[in-house]
Amino acid sequence: MAKKPQQLAIDTRPWRDTANNKPFVRIKNVSKKFGDIIAVHEVSLDIYKSELFCLLGGSGSGKSTLLRMLAGFETPTSGTIEIDGQDMTEVPPYNRPVNMMFQSYALFPHMSVEQNIAYGLKRDGLPRAEIAARVNELLVLVKLQDYGKRKPHQLSGGQRQRVALARALAKRPKLLLLDEPLGALDKKLREETQFELVKIQEQLGVTFIVVTHDQEEAMTLATRIGVMNQGEIAMIGEPTDIYEFPNSRFVANFIGSANMVEGVVSEDEPDHVRIRSSELGCDIYVGHGVDCAPEQRLWWAIRPEKMVLSREQPAGLHGANVATGIVEEIAYLGDISVYQIALESGKRLRVSQTNSVRGNPDAITWDETVYVTWDEDAGSVLTS
Amino acid sequence: MTATHDPTIPPPRRLKPWNAVEKGLARVGITGRMLVLIAPLIWLLVFFLVPLAVVFGISLANKQFGRPPYTPLLTSEEGTVQLTLHLNNYIRLFTDNLYVAAYLSSIRIAAIATIITLLVGYPMAYAIARAPDRWRNILLMLVVLPFFTSFLLRVYALTGFMRGNGVINQFLGLFGIEPIVMMQTDFAVYVGIVYTYLPFMILPLYTTLVKLDVSLFEASADLGARPIHTFLFVTLPLSLPGIIAGSMLVFIPAIGEFVIPSLLGGPETLMIGRVLWDEFFSATNWPRASAVAVAMLLVVVVPIMLLQRAQGAVVEK
Repeated sequence: MAKKPQQLAIDTRPWRDTANNKPFVRIKNVSKKFGDIIAVHEVSLDIYKSELFCLLGGSGSGKSTLLRMLAGFETPTSGTIEIDGQDMTEVPPYNRPVNMMFQSYALFPHMSVEQNIAYGLKRDGLPRAEIAARVNELLVLVKLQDYGKRKPHQLSGGQRQRVALARALAKRPKLLLLDEPLGALDKKLREETQFELVKIQEQLGVTFIVVTHDQEEAMTLATRIGVMNQGEIAMIGEPTDIYEFPNSRFVANFIGSANMVEGVVSEDEPDHVRIRSSELGCDIYVGHGVDCAPEQRLWWAIRPEKMVLSREQPAGLHGANVATGIVEEIAYLGDISVYQIALESGKRLRVSQTNSVRGNPDAITWDETVYVTWDEDAGSVLTS
Repeated sequence: MTATHDPTIPPPRRLKPWNAVEKGLARVGITGRMLVLIAPLIWLLVFFLVPLAVVFGISLANKQFGRPPYTPLLTSEEGTVQLTLHLNNYIRLFTDNLYVAAYLSSIRIAAIATIITLLVGYPMAYAIARAPDRWRNILLMLVVLPFFTSFLLRVYALTGFMRGNGVINQFLGLFGIEPIVMMQTDFAVYVGIVYTYLPFMILPLYTTLVKLDVSLFEASADLGARPIHTFLFVTLPLSLPGIIAGSMLVFIPAIGEFVIPSLLGGPETLMIGRVLWDEFFSATNWPRASAVAVAMLLVVVVPIMLLQRAQGAVVEK
């Protein structure tokens, strides 16, 4: 549900043109240590206005600590954080033009929905009438017009989530931080809410930074994703970049599923590379140049849906890109089936095939010897 | 699947020595659950309600010389049983200024002491609740530690601090400051009550404060509230149940406090506990003393009920 590219004018993807666009949030060499533990290590990150940036990582990857430093709940051990050109590193949370939506929602239990939303506005000393109008506006935005007088404990999980969002948006923050915003919702509600969240973000043009451990959520929401691993940023990119062109074994494995194969470079030409892989039992022909040296040991990753299964031996490419093995497992998922192919080396490949024929009697089945083939640009060569 | 035992072998019969008792009780319609409920009821009946009834009965008698030192309620004469209720003890409570003044003074002293205890105890409870995990139990232990010494001893020890040549005055003397009169004043009584009842304030406050989600404070700060506003609008309202519970635990026993005012207070420190003591032991006027006690119970029970209702309302929110 990320924005359709054709809806975006060139200037709404400012990260593609860093020379002419000033980042809105600038995180420079930020580290955070808790005692001996390094939670965030030398992270530098630029986020542009109206972006919906996802920080994606497992638990303990430092993504939440980074978010809390943006909100001002933690002070970086070193490095600086700039928001809208102003250094925010030492500014306390109550003086930042930033609001946060908490994972637990952190709604004030002793206040009604209206009072919760009005809380930040009251602290700013706005006139009563203005506060009432703004609260009403937000209740309409999150479709909770009739729930203003309720207490948080009288609401469902989804409603609480929307109150939390309304409260965080009330002060028209320049930057909204969302900590696992959909984590506490069930699957169906989560899908609906993802859509709403993107709609609201587009409508208001606020910059969102979302922390999530759910890669599917990151892929659907984000304009860009920052993958975090052990306190460091492993990769920053648009969802398609992250999925199709991972820059490391970690990213390839973390996002989606990938077959990872070890190999040795046997031909290193400017227009192609040949990798000898004993695991695959064949060569890999890559149709573009790679920054590597002959005889270098490296890895090659390929997504299950990028490979094709067949009973007859395919022609292959330049005498490469054809592996053979026996069907060991089949997972039928309805729209696709995932086959696990055992190669002679003992290596197992996961290949997914679309079930385009209904109840196909001729489908490949268990214990059949099959050939696996792929295109010259289907996989990613990874050197780290 | 691994079965814990073979289903074909019946499980060993458990010996139930209480089976016979259980069956016997069941025959007269008593279940285990009832027994559990009956035990505290009997306790309350024997050690609370019956003595209370006795006190109430005595309060309706008249003083007399002899044993017991009060007139019997029931007298029988030629087959006529006569119930004599003397209300003059209660009437006296209102007509004699001493009692009204003592009640009001007790409430005033207890109320002021409760407020001071709250002001002292709240920051302490807050600090303990926010302390690192490994410190928390040690700090709580320190709060409870004074209970390991006799209450009487601790109050008596305070006199050593506050008397004319006590520790405080000797310390002040080092700087050439004239000794301050602290003993036998209301001040000493406040010090005594605050000191002895502080743990009763801190513990309920701590339990409410420690349960509060830290993210609520962060959310408040995030929405632009300075620390003082976060305290006033979030922390304080959410700790209200603890404030009410702690205040009740201090206020109620402080009203009837006897040891502290008699050891630390002066002759002008008028508290109902001392009046009660004097009636019983100096004037040997048991009926009057009983009337004072019953009236004190009412003075204490009414605020409890009001506070409990207030607490119920807070919890409901």
